[in-house]
Amino acid sequence: MESMTPISCPTTPRWNQDRPFLTGRFHQETRASSKFADSKRFTLDSSSSGVEQAIGCYDTPVQELIVIDDLLSALVGIEGRYISIKRFHGKEDSIAFQVDPSMDLALQELAKRIFPLCEYYLLIDQFVESSSQFKNGLVNHAFAAALRALLLDYQAMVAQLEHQFRLGRLSIQGLWFYCQPMMGSMRALAAVIQQASTKQFVGSGVLNLLQSQAKAMAGDNSVRSLLEKMTECASNAYLSILERWVYEGIIDDPYGEFFIAENRSLKKESLSQDSTAKYWSQRYSLKDTIPGFLANIAATILTTGKYLNVMRECGHNVQVPISERSKLTIFGSNHHYLECIKAAHEFASIELVNLIKDKYDLVGRLRSIKHYLLLDQGDFLVHFMDIAREELNKKVHEISVEKLQSLLDLALRTTAAAADPRHEDLTCCVDRASLLTTLGMHKDTDSNSIEDPMSITGLETFSLSYKVQWPLSIVISKKALSKYQLIFRFLFHCKHVERQLCGAWQIHQGIRSMNSKGTAILRSSLLCRSMLKFISSLLHYLTFEVLEPNWHVMHDRLQSTRSVDEVIQHHDFFLDKCLRGCLLLLPDVLKKMEKLKSVCLQYAAATQWLISSSIDINSQSHPQKTMIRDTTVTESIFNFEREFNSELQSLGPVLSKGSQAEPYLTHLSQWILGVSKE
Amino acid sequence: MPREIITLQVGQCGNQIGMEFWKQLCLEHGISKDGILEDFATQGGDRKDVFFYQADDQHYIPRALLIDLEPRVINGIQNGEYRNLYNHENIFLSDHGGGAGNNWASGYHQGKGVEEEIMDMIDREADGSDSLEGFVLCHSIAGGTGSGMGSYLLETLNDRYSKKLVQTYSVFPNQMETSDVVVQPYNSLLTLKRLTLNADCVVVLDNTALNRIAVERLHLTNPTFAQTNSLVSTVMSASTTTLRYPGYMNNDLVGLLASLIPTPRCHFLMTGYTPLTVERQANVIRKTTVLDVMRRLLQTKNIMVSSYARNKEASQAKYISILNIIQGEVDPTQVHESLQRIRERKLVNFIDWGPASIQVALSKKSPYVQTSHRVSGLMLASHTSIRHLFSRCLSQYDKLRKKQAFLDNYRKFPMFADNDLSEFDESRDIIESLVDEYKACESPDYIKWGMEDPGQLMTGEGNASGVADPKLAF
Repeated sequence: MESMTPISCPTTPRWNQDRPFLTGRFHQETRASSKFADSKRFTLDSSSSGVEQAIGCYDTPVQELIVIDDLLSALVGIEGRYISIKRFHGKEDSIAFQVDPSMDLALQELAKRIFPLCEYYLLIDQFVESSSQFKNGLVNHAFAAALRALLLDYQAMVAQLEHQFRLGRLSIQGLWFYCQPMMGSMRALAAVIQQASTKQFVGSGVLNLLQSQAKAMAGDNSVRSLLEKMTECASNAYLSILERWVYEGIIDDPYGEFFIAENRSLKKESLSQDSTAKYWSQRYSLKDTIPGFLANIAATILTTGKYLNVMRECGHNVQVPISERSKLTIFGSNHHYLECIKAAHEFASIELVNLIKDKYDLVGRLRSIKHYLLLDQGDFLVHFMDIAREELNKKVHEISVEKLQSLLDLALRTTAAAADPRHEDLTCCVDRASLLTTLGMHKDTDSNSIEDPMSITGLETFSLSYKVQWPLSIVISKKALSKYQLIFRFLFHCKHVERQLCGAWQIHQGIRSMNSKGTAILRSSLLCRSMLKFISSLLHYLTFEVLEPNWHVMHDRLQSTRSVDEVIQHHDFFLDKCLRGCLLLLPDVLKKMEKLKSVCLQYAAATQWLISSSIDINSQSHPQKTMIRDTTVTESIFNFEREFNSELQSLGPVLSKGSQAEPYLTHLSQWILGVSKE
Repeated sequence: MPREIITLQVGQCGNQIGMEFWKQLCLEHGISKDGILEDFATQGGDRKDVFFYQADDQHYIPRALLIDLEPRVINGIQNGEYRNLYNHENIFLSDHGGGAGNNWASGYHQGKGVEEEIMDMIDREADGSDSLEGFVLCHSIAGGTGSGMGSYLLETLNDRYSKKLVQTYSVFPNQMETSDVVVQPYNSLLTLKRLTLNADCVVVLDNTALNRIAVERLHLTNPTFAQTNSLVSTVMSASTTTLRYPGYMNNDLVGLLASLIPTPRCHFLMTGYTPLTVERQANVIRKTTVLDVMRRLLQTKNIMVSSYARNKEASQAKYISILNIIQGEVDPTQVHESLQRIRERKLVNFIDWGPASIQVALSKKSPYVQTSHRVSGLMLASHTSIRHLFSRCLSQYDKLRKKQAFLDNYRKFPMFADNDLSEFDESRDIIESLVDEYKACESPDYIKWGMEDPGQLMTGEGNASGVADPKLAF
């Protein structure tokens, strides 16, 4: 996540570097100085000091005493007189203890057996120091602290051995014997450390390593329990981060070790602008470094904190009630932490769902959106279309959105919507492209059928928008809203066609006084009836067959949801189902519908002329002229009729073709085409 | 306050059913008898402003004109418990108070005389609304005032408000019993002409059928006017629910009517309602599902027009269109299933010449009116059998006319002065052609009705590929 805030950590204080003997850093320090010295060390030492001679000069018992003394130093990482530390610089720095080759061979062998322990000590000690630096993170700190405690024990042991030695009770065999128990654990730890430091593990990497090692060492009881203890100690720090997240929704992770990342650049306000609804999915995300023991439950942990976070953002300081039992750091029973996390998740999700449903009245909000965007309470639209007719008939770039907005407000204030205070959140918007273009369906049509973008008016592009506030914007995000808008635009245009046809119908009504028997008017009014039937059947299908039932299903499901993610899922499912049912995802059918609607609109626009011409005909005194006009009128009515009927006919196969994949299309064809006479 | 509707109640019958209608609306909207919103009526979601407006003191006042030529019924209203509901400026009573004497010509003539006064009232109401959608006229067609004056008003409205819709609720006389109005056939015929030519939609309320329903369905031995009127008010209020409780569709009158009325003159609708109760009388509680309701609506016994049940040619009669307004808690999936059932069982006989199906409008039920049934339904239908009702009017008229009976009463008025009875003949022609048109609707060739040689036109269309008029080029 590139936009992650960089982890800033304090620098290690200077005294840590200045005083190498305090921190054990001298092991590394000497490395540089001994670079030349290494080869001639023994000769140089022996000759320059003059005090010491090759150990071989002594008797074996004396040699043993000297070696024990040296070994006791070597066990805490200090070179002795005859035991030196050799460093190899290569791809991986390593150290090896060397013994004066003149030593008695038997003693040499025994001493060499003990050397690994010394090396482990050095390695561990070095790791403890280096990983205690701030940048290595809390897990490493905790691990180092645990190691330090272990090393203290070890040092105590060495001190006791030394005491025994001073009392003259320690032989080299005895030393070997006493070192035995430490050997295994130190080796295992050294192996872990080796891996951890070469791969520079932090956080969950260390935890995973420790756990896998503990599993690998399952056969060795003492080592396994040691490693488990280490794991426990190291994960303590991690679990307290987890605890704050799971119980409070706060990421308290100064060194970036936690497996949940926060993307602070995503603001909650973005939900109502960003059409991809990234906030909810990406504000908090899982990193790939998830500790193995949490891997299965990671998603739950993520959502738990997310929910708590939402509530905090809403100004509700909700905390998961914490009891002694719910401390994650208790490693008592095997999967205690899992239960705690599940309990916290349960709590957080129910709390948030209740908050959103009760305090922020999600269902009421959705219902209000349904009133306006799905026209469930469509009276305001009738009025709006009345008063905004002129504005909507303008070309897209001439439309004044402000004017539409004020007209919309007026329409809302004077209809049933006035009783709903939420109507104030409704705003107008005018898109630039027609619905088909918006849906990206023009790509595959042949080029000459693409409509001229200049000719589209507000009627094709008008849409409503709805201001949704946090936290409801989690559910009703811009993405969801834009789906509502697509449905609205389709409905809106259908309503427009219906209104125009109603207008045409009224024109027919105006000439009742004429006997229409045998005239083109009869034909025209019956065509008008067919068109009205078509459009109202379409609207009926859209509303009562698609929107309403699906809404009911969603509404029922929302009653029983237990988490916000479920709510989002149900809501999205509803929207997708509606989009599909409203034909918006079926380009073939939708294009047919648009064509039919445009025929209806053309007819409606021509009605006035057709009817007035017919009236002229009947009142005309010139029979010849009448005849000509009569035929043109009749012909144009026939033309409309033919075009409409052929479009309607061709709809049948399209619908039945689609109905195999989309069963609801059968309903639509029943509505529009009537029962097929079987 | 868009899409307002002004109600004109004319004559004795018109005022009686109008009164019942307003009572029902007040109940449904939680408006008290004085026009004040009840405390419990807070749920919103309804549109009171279609039929009411609010006075300065928040009183709800019906957009209604009460018109009569004799004072009895209106006085009754003015002294009744709803006296404070109406705007008293909207009440018109003739000065002489003598009524129209059951004479259409008298009513018509008197209407002409007071045209200015009444049109002033109408204009005032119309100016008080934002975008008037239309008028509703309640009247009976048999008497004098409702029929005669109503006819005159219809003509005037058509003239003056030609862009507005006019819907009427017209009560047809009871033809089963001998009427005290002997000239009923004359009055009916003359009114029917205006209903045909000057109304956009006529909801036929057949007293014969209303009585039958009251007797057979409600088991009332001697139904009173109040009881049949409450049936009427139920129908009237139910048919306006989609306007008053906005939903997905049919939120304006024009949308409601346009889908129901096929051709300009075939605008007579019959109604059916279920389950029926009178005065919220405790009825047997039945299970009401959408299917039940829709099925019952199609049963002849629930239909409020008698012709349908009694005619011999019922098998040829066909539905032109049906709108079922279903009120109550309805699971929308049930609607589809019910329609499917009805289709499978072939319960409806639709016309052959065009697409037809049952349309359904789901509407909210008033939360303030308690009913024992969950779902109720109203059917508005255009059915060809309605022509038998007109035929009967014609035959009754013919009988009377043959005897030249009672014509003197009419000759007293200018329209029939000098023994000019052409108005009767003209009306008869129009009603006859209406009957013909409905009859033609039953045939599958209705679309070619009256075209002398449809073939010629059809063949002529080959060379008419171009658009006929520049206005048609889009």
